[in-house]
Formats: sequence, structure tokens, C-alpha cells
Amino acid sequence: MSGVLAGLGMATLLSWVAFAILGWVVSPPLSVWIGGAIGGLLVLVARNTMILRGFVALLAPFGVMLPAIALRQMAAELGAPVVPFATFEILVFLLLYVAFLVSAIGVVPVDVYRVGYAPLPVAAMVLSVCVYGYLTGNWFLPLVAVLGQALWLSRWGSSNWFDHVTHVLLVPVALIVLVVRVI
Amino acid sequence: MGSGDIFILALALISVVLSGYALWRDETLNWVFAVPRLPAPDPGEAPLFETLFDYRPKKGVAHSPAIVKHGETLSTLWFEGSSEAQPDIEIRRAVLETGPEGGCAGDPETFLTSAALAKAFAPGQLVVTLGNTIQNDAIESSLYATVVSVGGWAMASIAEVRMDGVKPVRVRKLDLSPFLNRSFLVRSPMVAYADGSHALPAYFEMGTTYGALVRLDAEGRVRDQRRMTGTGVKPIQPMIVVLDETRALAFLRDFDDSGRLYLSRTEDGGRHWTRAEATDIPHPNAPVAALSLSGGRILMARNGSGNDADRLELAVSADEGESWQVIHRIDSEAGEARYPMLRRLADGRILLAYSHHSKQGVRVVMFNEAWVAAR
Repeated sequence: MSGVLAGLGMATLLSWVAFAILGWVVSPPLSVWIGGAIGGLLVLVARNTMILRGFVALLAPFGVMLPAIALRQMAAELGAPVVPFATFEILVFLLLYVAFLVSAIGVVPVDVYRVGYAPLPVAAMVLSVCVYGYLTGNWFLPLVAVLGQALWLSRWGSSNWFDHVTHVLLVPVALIVLVVRVI
Repeated sequence: MGSGDIFILALALISVVLSGYALWRDETLNWVFAVPRLPAPDPGEAPLFETLFDYRPKKGVAHSPAIVKHGETLSTLWFEGSSEAQPDIEIRRAVLETGPEGGCAGDPETFLTSAALAKAFAPGQLVVTLGNTIQNDAIESSLYATVVSVGGWAMASIAEVRMDGVKPVRVRKLDLSPFLNRSFLVRSPMVAYADGSHALPAYFEMGTTYGALVRLDAEGRVRDQRRMTGTGVKPIQPMIVVLDETRALAFLRDFDDSGRLYLSRTEDGGRHWTRAEATDIPHPNAPVAALSLSGGRILMARNGSGNDADRLELAVSADEGESWQVIHRIDSEAGEARYPMLRRLADGRILLAYSHHSKQGVRVVMFNEAWVAAR
């Protein structure tokens, strides 16, 4: 099952990249459909090639958040009602996530990643995200948190909840969004 | 209340149900060490020391040997190839015979390759090269291998490898780091707990660098990890020796070339570890091996100098690592003798494996406690 999840995650990310590149020459919704077709076909046809196996080795586990953000952006281009994140939300996320990564490399004595193995802290974090989503009226983050919790419980992927709801590529993605907004 | 709010409340409700299930299913970790009960050697037992295996490849490296027992098959595994961290590195093995009349070893043979591991990986992925490999004591016919898919050792991951004979049938990375499980490596034997579970000593090579004790559940999935850190040093490759149900020592290599062996202690079954402190044991930037002897003593295989690893020696401590008596110089040939591993057989005999001639050979010796006592 972890292979299926990795395939779905990889297809989504490849679709996103193809969609982003096509966006320079083709306008939506065509770029979304063609990008999606390219990502899906690549995974179906070439998943056992060295390049895509290297892609999995390099970026798996993909988790829920990164593919969800990719799907969210492409859905928005298709006209789906998407509530954009506020700039301060992205900034706060970036700061918190970088602090989380810093704690993981031992710079500070606190190891936040560790609590992602245990059910009680995970329960508290997921509920906190739900409360935040309720207060801001944005269901995207609660959906990702609960989907991540369900996958974490299913034992199909990582035994750490953070691997389901975060990904190191979120750092450059958040930075790019912030830079684009400033420009 | 809008439909969005109702959706979020529904998600919260689902989350509560999932959390309840997670809490119900979770098995609380037992933090009581299994204490080895080692009988004193029979006074009439003859001292034994013999070389079982001495191997040098025609060219390239042969390094980081481990002792592995799968079923009735005892073997030594090491990595071999043109050079460390190269794509042609493979895990090779020699089957060891340790009968009562003495021991010997079979011919070296290929045991694991990057291609075979990649084929069995879930999810399917590239494996470029292999490194330190040890036995998974918790699961029969299983190993932990250091695998690299991109970059060097700092980008390595620990993979659990389930074997069917000499064929890997299921391989997956341990979930240890938000950096896509990168930079965790394995070297030392596992630690047993009183409830039958095991913990894996590992180390993280990125950033500040630290040793770790990884707790695993019954399926071999990571359930917790605890750090062994130091101040101004890079303590890695923890070699853990259990003293009693709650206390253990972790001897750590300093990756920063301080010329000392470092020590971290736990007094609560591995939940917390003291900051690694320098011992008065001079030691190069290299790992040690250690295990418990009868009478509460500790046997250590270590290099006998703070500058280089040319000399490998055995030392015994009778006071929980406070002081040591060197009992034998194992290797003083030209070239480094590194990466010792000590394992005890069911009959009490002890195997020591290490690489010699500066990572260009592997040797396995066997001795007993009567020999240790006679030194």
C-alpha cells in the first residue's frame, strides 16, 4: 500500500510541476488537464525507471500536505472555491516549520518530531488544527490534519504523524509564495 | 453556522474517534532493560582463542563486519567494493562454524546488493550504495542496513530488510527524521527490553550530530526515539551496555576528532540520557564494541590510541566503566583495525569481528571467558 500512496503522491507532484511549466504557454483549465495527464502517465508508464525511482528515493514520504496543496492550486485554476492563506499565516507556518526542522537536527534540546509517534500529542495537535480551521473558516488544514491522522493510523506509511502532514519541500514552496506576494 | 463550519466540526469528530482508536491500540513502551544473566565460567573450562575468519579482497575495501545469526546459520557480514560509498559496494558474508571442537568459516559470498534491495523496497526506489549492516534481533531473518539513495553517508537512511534465505523480500526505511528519513545510520547491536521488545542504537549525522536510541513496536515500526547529545562534540555510534533493569552506559565515538571516547548514561531504561562526557580513554574517531561479562564486568574492544586506529585491544572493567584493564592487544599490524563488533554465542563463547589493514580486510576471532580470565 505504501507503493500506491507513493505513486499517488508522485503523480500529483509531477502533475503540479507539469501544470506550472505549462502555465507559461497554455492557460487554465488546459494546463491543469494536460499537467494532470502528464503526471499520471509518467507514473503509470515510467514508475520503474531510474529517474522516477530516484524521485521516490529523494522525496518520499510525500505525505498529505504537499500533494493537497498541489491539488488545491490546480483546483483553484479550475474555478473551485478556495480560500487563500493569508500572508501572515504562511509566514507563521514558515517560522514554526523551520523551528521544527531545526529541533530535528539537534540544535536545540527539544525534539518536536518525536511527539509525532505518540497518540495523545497527535490527538491534541489534530484537534488544535481543527479549532484553528473553525476559527478562521478554512477547512483545508483540518482536512489535511485528519487525513494525515487516518493514514498514520492505517500504518500504510510513516509511523510519525508529522511525515503525513509536512514535507521539507513546503519550505521552498512557502518562500516562493511569499516572494511572489511581495513582488 | 455555514456548511464549512459543519464540515470542520465533522472532521473534529472524526479526529476524536481516530484518536480514541489510536489510544486504545497503542501499546505503552516498557522501559525496563532485559538484564543478561551470565554464569561464571566453569573453573575447569580451557581458555579458547582462535581465528575463525581472516579475509582480504584482492582490491578495494572490506569493512564494518557484523555478526549475524539467522536460524541456525551464524555468519559475518561486511560491505565490500572498489571504495566506500561507491555503487559497486555489496554486502558479503561468510558462514561461520562454531562447533565444540573449534570454528572455521566458509568462503565469502555475495549476500545483498543495491539492486536486490531496490527491487524489494516499499515503495520502490533507487538504492545507490550500502553501508553498515547489523542483525535485527527483534525479528527473525531480518537486518538493518544503511542505504544511500542520493549523496553520501550524511544522506543515508536505515532500512529494515526482511530476508528469505539470501533474498531480500521486503525493505522499508525507518521513519526517523522529518528530513525524509535522511542522515540516520546504524552500527551497534540492538538492546533488549524485559518485555521482549528491542531498541536500535542509531546516530544522526546532519547538523549537530547525535546518538539515538530508537524504540520499535511489535511490527518493527518506530514508536519513539531518544537522543544522546554532547556539548562541543559529535557523539555518534552509541555502543550500549546494560548494567541493570534501568541503568545502561552508551560509549560514543566523537566524530569531531577530540581523541577521546565519550560516555552517556541512562538511569531510567533509556528514556533520558546524560550529556555525553569525555572519558579518560584515549580513542581515535572510531567506534568501540562492548558487552557484558559474568560478574558484572564489561568487555570492550577499542583502539588503543587517541591519534590513530592502528592498534585494537581488549579491555575489561569491573566497576561499570570507571576504570579499565587492557587484557590483550588484538591487532597491531600495519594499517587501521576498526569497527569492532562483539557478540556472545548461546554457549557463552564470544565472537569479535573487525576490519583490518585500513578497511581492506575482515577478521573474526572467537574466545571464551576462561581466556579472558586467564589474561
